[in-house]
Amino acid sequence: MHFRGLGPPGSLPLRRPVAIAGIDRKRGEVTLHLPSTDAATPWLAMRRAGDRADPIGPLGRPLAIEPRTHHLLLIAEGLSVPPLGPLTEAAIATGRRVALLLGARSAAEVYPSSLLPDELEYVVATQDGSLGHRGSVVDLVPAYEAWADQAVASGGPALLERVAHLARGRDARLGVACLGRRTARRGRRTGRVTRRSWLSVVLEQRVGCALGVCLGCVVPGASGPVRVCREGPAFRADELAWEESA
Amino acid sequence: MTLAGDARTLTDISVDLAPQRPGRLLVRTPFLAAAGCLGYGVEGEGQVPLDRFGAIVTRGVTLAPRSGSPPPRMAEVPSGLLHAIGLPGPGIEAVLERYAPRWLAWSVPVILSLCAAEAVDFGSLAQRADGVPGVAALELDLASPDLARGGRPLSLDPTLAADATAAARAATELPILVKLSPAATDLRALARALVEAGADALTCTGAMPALAMDPRGGGPLLGSAAAALSGPALRPISLRVVSEVRRAVSEPIVGCGGVSGLPDALEYLAAGADAVAIGTAALADPALPARLGDELAAHGPVARPGVTDRRRQPRTPHAARPR
Repeated sequence: MHFRGLGPPGSLPLRRPVAIAGIDRKRGEVTLHLPSTDAATPWLAMRRAGDRADPIGPLGRPLAIEPRTHHLLLIAEGLSVPPLGPLTEAAIATGRRVALLLGARSAAEVYPSSLLPDELEYVVATQDGSLGHRGSVVDLVPAYEAWADQAVASGGPALLERVAHLARGRDARLGVACLGRRTARRGRRTGRVTRRSWLSVVLEQRVGCALGVCLGCVVPGASGPVRVCREGPAFRADELAWEESA
Repeated sequence: MTLAGDARTLTDISVDLAPQRPGRLLVRTPFLAAAGCLGYGVEGEGQVPLDRFGAIVTRGVTLAPRSGSPPPRMAEVPSGLLHAIGLPGPGIEAVLERYAPRWLAWSVPVILSLCAAEAVDFGSLAQRADGVPGVAALELDLASPDLARGGRPLSLDPTLAADATAAARAATELPILVKLSPAATDLRALARALVEAGADALTCTGAMPALAMDPRGGGPLLGSAAAALSGPALRPISLRVVSEVRRAVSEPIVGCGGVSGLPDALEYLAAGADAVAIGTAALADPALPARLGDELAAHGPVARPGVTDRRRQPRTPHAARPR
């Protein structure tokens, strides 16, 4: 996933980070999904072919599939599906199995399945029960935690906190923790590529300059503050400092 | 030699921001990068045409290392940006050691922004920066609420502000700009006190102390209470400060607050500013100060008001100097 800032019109001072939802290398195109909830993006959505939007990017660190991953679990809510697009495409193109667990308030806010690849397993949870499981999307995660070799969560801080909390307990529950953790620690010292944390997250956050300069978008990391626009927006869960209450 | 064609269309727009100082502070265009928006400048190297800026004001530098405010640090509000970054940085020693050699290689002057809670600390900061090659001038940030006691920026108290300026002045011969808070009152007296204490130029203004709350009842929107408002919403407020300060002192004024295009900059020049610093707009468009220089050169000279309130003008060499 990449990050892209797009010039805002009028008096909205900041650019908007917009995730690249799809990449068509043959045609040289990228797909952006613009939330109608943000005052700056309807302007952008009304641009026609040939208009100039003055973007900066792609910026930031993208999501990556671990080489050993066969089963990829995606967890998202509301409008946070687009950042997972390129990863999903890449995983399916390389023959991996992908499941997307999506949470929304109601059926009306569920991400349309017509925009998702056919190969994807799509499971929906709605708060009001109007579609799929009634309740939080986090309720669906335990059923998939043993199946998935790698998980990626995209959404607001509350969702990410809960998924990160679940992920911390996963290794212990499955009894695969010790070996993996030790390897990971040794790897960090020697710089060798080793087993990474099971969960990655994509933070959705307004950023200031998007170039790593203004330090407006920092979040607490495991070893000091990290910038969402530069070190992120994709992080391994163990790179961030999660609140203990989660 | 300039080509005749150029001479007709392009005006010399260079400004001296410290005509009283031995070293002066000549900027080739009146458009500066405001403190904080371009980091230490080095972050923009290669990506931003820094050599076409008038000057770069660095991120605020403190005596000791600071980790900054807890997130969230920024929120967009109507026509403005609310920020509480909290002056993160490695401290002045490390900043000068790491970046000053690179500043020295640039053609654009680098103005070191200094932040401290106590007036005397500005003396210590200025002393460390004094004589460091690469530092062209100092800007004393008396507007930032981050280090202010009880959220009161130093420039709200003319005595403390003058003490801070005098402390820095005693430590260095570098040009000193002093940044005022838009919340300051009795601006004319404040401006005179600062000039008398040794300020070569005044930056009007820093960001306005401000607040945004979470409408869902989650308390303040930002992680720190020391938040301040920048961007277009600040412009009319800072413009008035420029206008007031211009009535009182003849020293150069750097207008700062909500400039996102040439018309905004012309407002500042018309109100009495000699130069204009670009802050929030540079976050979305880092090359803006360079482009404004080209646009102003094409636009031509701007009539600028002089000092009108001479009654209480202090008898200092600065004030006696004809303009």
